Amino acid sequence: MSDEIRMLPKAYHEAVEHWQRHNFPEYPELAKRWQQYFPKDAEFCLCARIEKGMPTNIQIGEKTGQPKANAPRELDKEAAEQLLMIIRAQASTEFGSIQQHHGTFERANDPQDQSWVLRVMAEELRHGYQMIHLLTSADWSSVTDTKPEDMVEEILNMQTGSHVLAAFNLEYDSFGDSIAFAAFIDRVGKYQLTMQKVNAYAPMAASMPPMLREEAFHLAAGVIPMRRWMEAAARDRNAAMDVPTIQKMIGKWFGRGLEMFGDERGGATNVKLGLKDMANREAQDLYIAECDKMLDDINTRFVRARLAHLSRDDGDAAYARIKKGETVEGLTRDDLLRLPDPRFFRRRGEPAFQMIGHDGEHFTDVELYIAHVLAHLPEAYRASIDVKHWIEMQRGVANRTIELKKAISSMPRLARVGGACPCSNSVRWVVDAPEGPSGGGERLNP
Amino acid sequence: MADVIIRPVTELDIEAICKIDEVITGKYRPDAWEDRVMYYIRRDPDSSQVAEVGGKVVGFMLGEVRGGEFGLEEPTGWVEFFGVDPKAREKGVGRALIEALLARFKVKGAHVARTMVRTQDKDIDAFIRRNGFTPAPVAALEKRL
Repeated sequence: MSDEIRMLPKAYHEAVEHWQRHNFPEYPELAKRWQQYFPKDAEFCLCARIEKGMPTNIQIGEKTGQPKANAPRELDKEAAEQLLMIIRAQASTEFGSIQQHHGTFERANDPQDQSWVLRVMAEELRHGYQMIHLLTSADWSSVTDTKPEDMVEEILNMQTGSHVLAAFNLEYDSFGDSIAFAAFIDRVGKYQLTMQKVNAYAPMAASMPPMLREEAFHLAAGVIPMRRWMEAAARDRNAAMDVPTIQKMIGKWFGRGLEMFGDERGGATNVKLGLKDMANREAQDLYIAECDKMLDDINTRFVRARLAHLSRDDGDAAYARIKKGETVEGLTRDDLLRLPDPRFFRRRGEPAFQMIGHDGEHFTDVELYIAHVLAHLPEAYRASIDVKHWIEMQRGVANRTIELKKAISSMPRLARVGGACPCSNSVRWVVDAPEGPSGGGERLNP
Repeated sequence: MADVIIRPVTELDIEAICKIDEVITGKYRPDAWEDRVMYYIRRDPDSSQVAEVGGKVVGFMLGEVRGGEFGLEEPTGWVEFFGVDPKAREKGVGRALIEALLARFKVKGAHVARTMVRTQDKDIDAFIRRNGFTPAPVAALEKRL
């Protein structure tokens, strides 16, 4: 099995490049750093990759065993509509994460971490390109009146604050958020891509394996720096990135990651239609278990560094005791990282706006709850419009002045229009260009 | 012994790999294994494998397909790092790992797999030979500096 490489038609290819110049100006730096940080790795290609040799029959749902669709019109209308929504949302996340990383990219304090994030950004650009390929390489007119160029325009117009999912509307407070994001939010991406490997629309299913291979690197680019932060924190009580700081980052991102799965009670339709192989709660539960495992590994690194005189077995036993709440050689549960309760600081899904604390405590006084949540969030994030908006909604829901449903659907900024290219030469990202079979077929640097 | 599950290595296997290495060598080397696992994940995350028994990683095998080294132009599947927890040995874990790795090398276009074994590592040498490897027409040379 290998990938087949496809390029977008020229107008769309150039639109993505144009978007990159405005939103991802760091991109050319990747070519300069490639041989230092990724020596002999296959060169980066801004292109769509289609896995060969994928199953040709539907693998899940009501039509299991029937041939997969190769065009949207071959899907049931409901499935095609749902799939179109999924592709648009996926595209939004890919371009959105680049905008987020860009905000703090220059503030990285470690050149290796920064170079890893640079590659992550480029691969997210490729994933966005892949989604645009899915939107523009097929006829979606059976389920939407929107022309392909307008769908692309809508995606490229989105800014931090106007993306489909909340996790992509949060600005980073520091480069540290790039790392926490890769560890927690890209992990949700891995689940979504994995679930979509069975997709009843063959081009979608075949798009997933190449993206998943790149996503594996993104997760490592989050976890390994976090492991090293914790090791440094264990050795140096004045480490710049200490445990409370990292814990608050987790408080910021974990709930948004959970919400990316969709409402805990939903997702059965996607399984029925053959678009994904797990419903939301099932996938979310696996994600929570995986995050728990991630923190166990990271905490083990901390304990081994802090209690370096202990043997491996004694170190493992010490961590197990600390996790249960005991104090071992001065270390307590609060000295290590832990996942917040999945209902903590939630704005979507089953536990939305329930006043559940970081460790599962129940609150009845909204002001006490707000103070509790704020105490578990990064200081810079507390000052954001996002948190301000959450406080308004949380108060409104608690005081019954805002309907829960309205609070759930509310976002701090809904600027889904008006984000046209800031370049004075153009008012649209997608501009008319002579028709060509591809963006020239050339590989971009690096 | 419970069923052995073979799957591609992930970033969450690093600590388990450190542990197996520590049991074998007596050294805890997280930095080294972070670098190594990252290397294989970023280049080909599907090839390198771990073995799980009862949800616990008990073995690993890292390698990749490369060509053009040492004048060997053909794509070669290089078996580079592996280890099995001593408590899990003699139960087919190593064989399952190498079979999965070699199968992936074939998918990646390699028609030959190669590795190097220190002469004093008799157990490893025997394991590798049991899995179909034979002496190659190349010589390993070195010069102390």
